[in-house]
Amino acid sequence: MLDEPYRWVEAIRNRREYTEDQLAGASPVVALAYDDGLLLLTSTPGPRKLFEVYNQVAFAGIGHPADIEKLRKAVIDIAHVEVFNLSASDVSLQRLVNLGVGPLMKSAFDEIFRSPYIARVLVAELDPAAAAETFYTIDPDGSFHSAAGAAAIAGSSEAAGSIQARLRAGEGGESLDQALARALGAWGAGRVLAGREPDETGKPGEVDDGEVREAVRAALDGGRFEAAVLERSRPTKTKFRLLGPGELESSVAAFE
Amino acid sequence: MESADFLNILKERGQLPSAPDLPASAASAGEATEGTTILAVRCAEGVLVAGDRRATAGHTVIHDRADKVLSVDDRSVLALSGSPASAYEIARMLEISFQHYRRTQLQELSLDGRLRTLSRLLRQNLPLALQGIGAVVPIYATCEDAGSGPEGKIFFYDVLGATFESVDFCTTGSGSPIIRGALYYMNRWERPFAERSGGEALELVVKMLETAAEYDTATGGFKATAAIYPQVMRVTAEGISAVPEGELAQVYAGLGG
Repeated sequence: MLDEPYRWVEAIRNRREYTEDQLAGASPVVALAYDDGLLLLTSTPGPRKLFEVYNQVAFAGIGHPADIEKLRKAVIDIAHVEVFNLSASDVSLQRLVNLGVGPLMKSAFDEIFRSPYIARVLVAELDPAAAAETFYTIDPDGSFHSAAGAAAIAGSSEAAGSIQARLRAGEGGESLDQALARALGAWGAGRVLAGREPDETGKPGEVDDGEVREAVRAALDGGRFEAAVLERSRPTKTKFRLLGPGELESSVAAFE
Repeated sequence: MESADFLNILKERGQLPSAPDLPASAASAGEATEGTTILAVRCAEGVLVAGDRRATAGHTVIHDRADKVLSVDDRSVLALSGSPASAYEIARMLEISFQHYRRTQLQELSLDGRLRTLSRLLRQNLPLALQGIGAVVPIYATCEDAGSGPEGKIFFYDVLGATFESVDFCTTGSGSPIIRGALYYMNRWERPFAERSGGEALELVVKMLETAAEYDTATGGFKATAAIYPQVMRVTAEGISAVPEGELAQVYAGLGG
């Protein structure tokens, strides 16, 4: 039946719908630059969701845990083979995405007898010398988008867009605490929007502070917030660090 | 389960460098770069690992600032004697393997796992070693928290990859036979190395390298005119640190000439 071209198109449409459906309930991941590097934040019922790929590259994913793990492993493998064959300075986010994880997700999505990756990925790179943070988001069909300054992945593109707008409203050069507060607010807005049906105009609508606070509280009920940084001032080669619960406490408390 | 092993990943992708298949006569055609003294001694705080800086090919000194003591992660040090080409490749592979394991598995590789990885790399290097041009004899030092305090651990390997644990000290390379007896004597009849402070251990390794350099042409001594100091690394429970040149200069000043 798949020898008829429109069947193939239909099958692709079906799995697009299917992956969107599966991702709809996911807790967003938000990422933004601050004065000493970049910050990633999400909520989780327990397992880790923010990871180190290489010294200056971080990875986050939403979706099926096994698919996220597969993609994470694939990116780490590519980066380390690159370091072995060339050098640490030849690991670049652009190449990891454009030639690595992007095509990988695209081919799984297009080959309709294989299962697609039910995952949306965010990767971030710190440039230790210049203050130039790069972010990429990759959709289940393998299409990727780069962004500077801030990025987000969420259950719906409306939610991700709204988070981005809130993250971008920052002036840049914020301290880690300021960035955490902004990240939590943006995360909350994304969480609210992802669970909301669009109104009659098709727009997701506004989110007020009360709703954001409620979303933060709800996340704390069944889980915790997880945050990680790529810190330019970190003395070690690896710039990645998970924030401890104590570092998040006061920022989260402000929303309760 | 997907392969967690970096060596296998390289192999699967056909990117594992293999030893070239040289004709038997090739081994004697050129003179291999080798010759060294490296040593590791226990001390109260952990282990001190030291190496001279000379690289030779036959009777020729080809480099006087070679680095033979390398930190492979934030808690272990590899010291290398033998062919630099193979040695650096092994150190590089080891460092990346440990990083890859930590990042993919979200936990550190155990000490046994790390020792085994090094052993496999030496095994991999066997064809070059057998051709007489690529033998590497490493010392691996780390420091574990034994509960009652830091406990330095020293391991050494033979060319085939067999692992041995040294109790108090270890030395390999062309200069090692000259100092092994002296080390044994001091550790047994003067005072055990594991009881000595880091400062005493530093003076000890510096004196040993000077002794080796006196009698072994392939071991370089301290050169005041060019300010070439040996490499010394401290392996303690807190991590790895290189002894700065200023501190080494003071030790040499104290030795008198």
